[in-house]
Amino acid sequence: MAFNSVSYLLFLCAAVAVFWLLPVRLRHGFVLLASVLFYASWGLLFVWLPLLVAAIVYFCGKRIERDPTTAKKWMWLGVVPVLLLLAIFKYRSFVFENLAFLLRPFGLRSNSLATTIAFPLGISFYTFEAIAYLIDVRQGRVKMPGFADLCLFFFFWPNILSGPIVRARELVPQLRFRRAFEPQFVFDGFDRIICGLVQKSVVANMLGIWVDKGFASSAGMPSTVDGWFLAVAFGLQIYFDFAGYTNMAIGAARLLGVTLPENFRQPYHASTPPDFWARWHMTLSRWIRDYLFFPVNAKWRGAPAPLYLSLLGVMTLVGLWHGAGWTFIVWGTLHGAYIVAYRAYESWKTTRPEADASPLIGSVWRVFTLIGVSVAWVAFRAPTLSKARLIVSAMLWHFSRGVAYSAAFYVFTVMVVVFCAFEPLVLRILGEIDEQEGSSGLSPLRVVGRPVVYLFGLLLFLLFDQNNSQFIYSQF
Amino acid sequence: MLDQDAIRTAAREAASAVARRPIKEGQRLVTSGLIDSLSVLKLISLLETKLNVSIPPETLQPEDFDDVDLIVETLERVAKPR
Repeated sequence: MAFNSVSYLLFLCAAVAVFWLLPVRLRHGFVLLASVLFYASWGLLFVWLPLLVAAIVYFCGKRIERDPTTAKKWMWLGVVPVLLLLAIFKYRSFVFENLAFLLRPFGLRSNSLATTIAFPLGISFYTFEAIAYLIDVRQGRVKMPGFADLCLFFFFWPNILSGPIVRARELVPQLRFRRAFEPQFVFDGFDRIICGLVQKSVVANMLGIWVDKGFASSAGMPSTVDGWFLAVAFGLQIYFDFAGYTNMAIGAARLLGVTLPENFRQPYHASTPPDFWARWHMTLSRWIRDYLFFPVNAKWRGAPAPLYLSLLGVMTLVGLWHGAGWTFIVWGTLHGAYIVAYRAYESWKTTRPEADASPLIGSVWRVFTLIGVSVAWVAFRAPTLSKARLIVSAMLWHFSRGVAYSAAFYVFTVMVVVFCAFEPLVLRILGEIDEQEGSSGLSPLRVVGRPVVYLFGLLLFLLFDQNNSQFIYSQF
Repeated sequence: MLDQDAIRTAAREAASAVARRPIKEGQRLVTSGLIDSLSVLKLISLLETKLNVSIPPETLQPEDFDDVDLIVETLERVAKPR
């Protein structure tokens, strides 16, 4: 049951209606059951995996709490098997393929047993939540809840597939569902869900048709203009795809009175490479910051050499987290290099206060960030490194006459770029309207106007449904 | 035992120095994006120097330094006199 399907929308409406009709004491069990059914709709076979992760966290978490002297040991005894599960299901094929490549000169063949097991959806997300949970218990930030609470934390259907990556301390207390019904939950929930549906079905899927064509292995070398259009179009496609998914996840949770953290803050308005990561997939950035980057660098208090090395290493791991392939590793390493370049500039700037004042430098970093992010997206989307190299070299210099795509591609891409440029303004206006509506209670505009907008959004979704495809991040 | 007023003053001064602007009580530093995790590391070093303490970082997260109250609370919990 994909979020962008009619069957999911029917499931959602039915589940939310039953949820609010049930007495509070039954809601927890009902949402757990609905969540397991939702996850099982993707494949019954892998329901045991989040269960196993919950069991590991529960078993080790209880021991961490019981005895502080052995807490560190039990934390690692929990983290390592969770990481092993992720490695076995996600990186097995990648490791075997690369082993086969390395062993070929010696006449040895690697066993290809790995390629036969399917990929369990959401594993990258709930394993990261599990690791964070164990570390937080060890640091005394959360108490271990009951096993059913823990299962619901991992299975919670709005965010099991592709996040947002939630901390236990922000979600577990909300999963007791003690809040009374408020009409605002419905407005907030449907606002986000309809917005997400349109972002995914109309914008991301439309761009995806042209992007798929341009990045296909059989496609030739594009012209310089087409290369840039393809890079920008994919950057927009993945943003609208993932932001659309996130809006639908946040909206579904909101319908149950639960608030999930935001994942995006107009990332293409970033002024520097680190700023991009403060705006893009914010819950992953937060996880990396809290559980990887900060503990590693805290020992050296941000000394340059370990800082630059750790930035490169951490961002390479971020790339690897997205997918088991060299294209993802290159994407992550490129971002690491951009951030290192910016940090080195910052460090140099502190020795030269006179360089601080120039607004030109700020604009240069803004443009560099946009160009750098777009170039890196080519590596992320390309099926192979050689294809990525071909497109990037075309972006540098490959002028040719004629155009490879219909005018609709260029016009639509430019329209989406213009929309993104004005996105903060649009959001501010919508926020002001929402504030005015909120202060006037159930105004006619709210009761009649919003359902009309929802209906229009649904019509757009149904109209564009034939181009529907899987969310990009559900593959990670 | 550190004096709470001294910690609060040092916390406000160090936070203002790292953020390069005056910081008010209750103003969010990390979650508002005013300072990033690297600046938190600088903040820790500054606090260690100002208060002559050592702050073991293993059990800390950047959001433990999100505002002046939290900084005071964190220091009282983990800081050790040198």
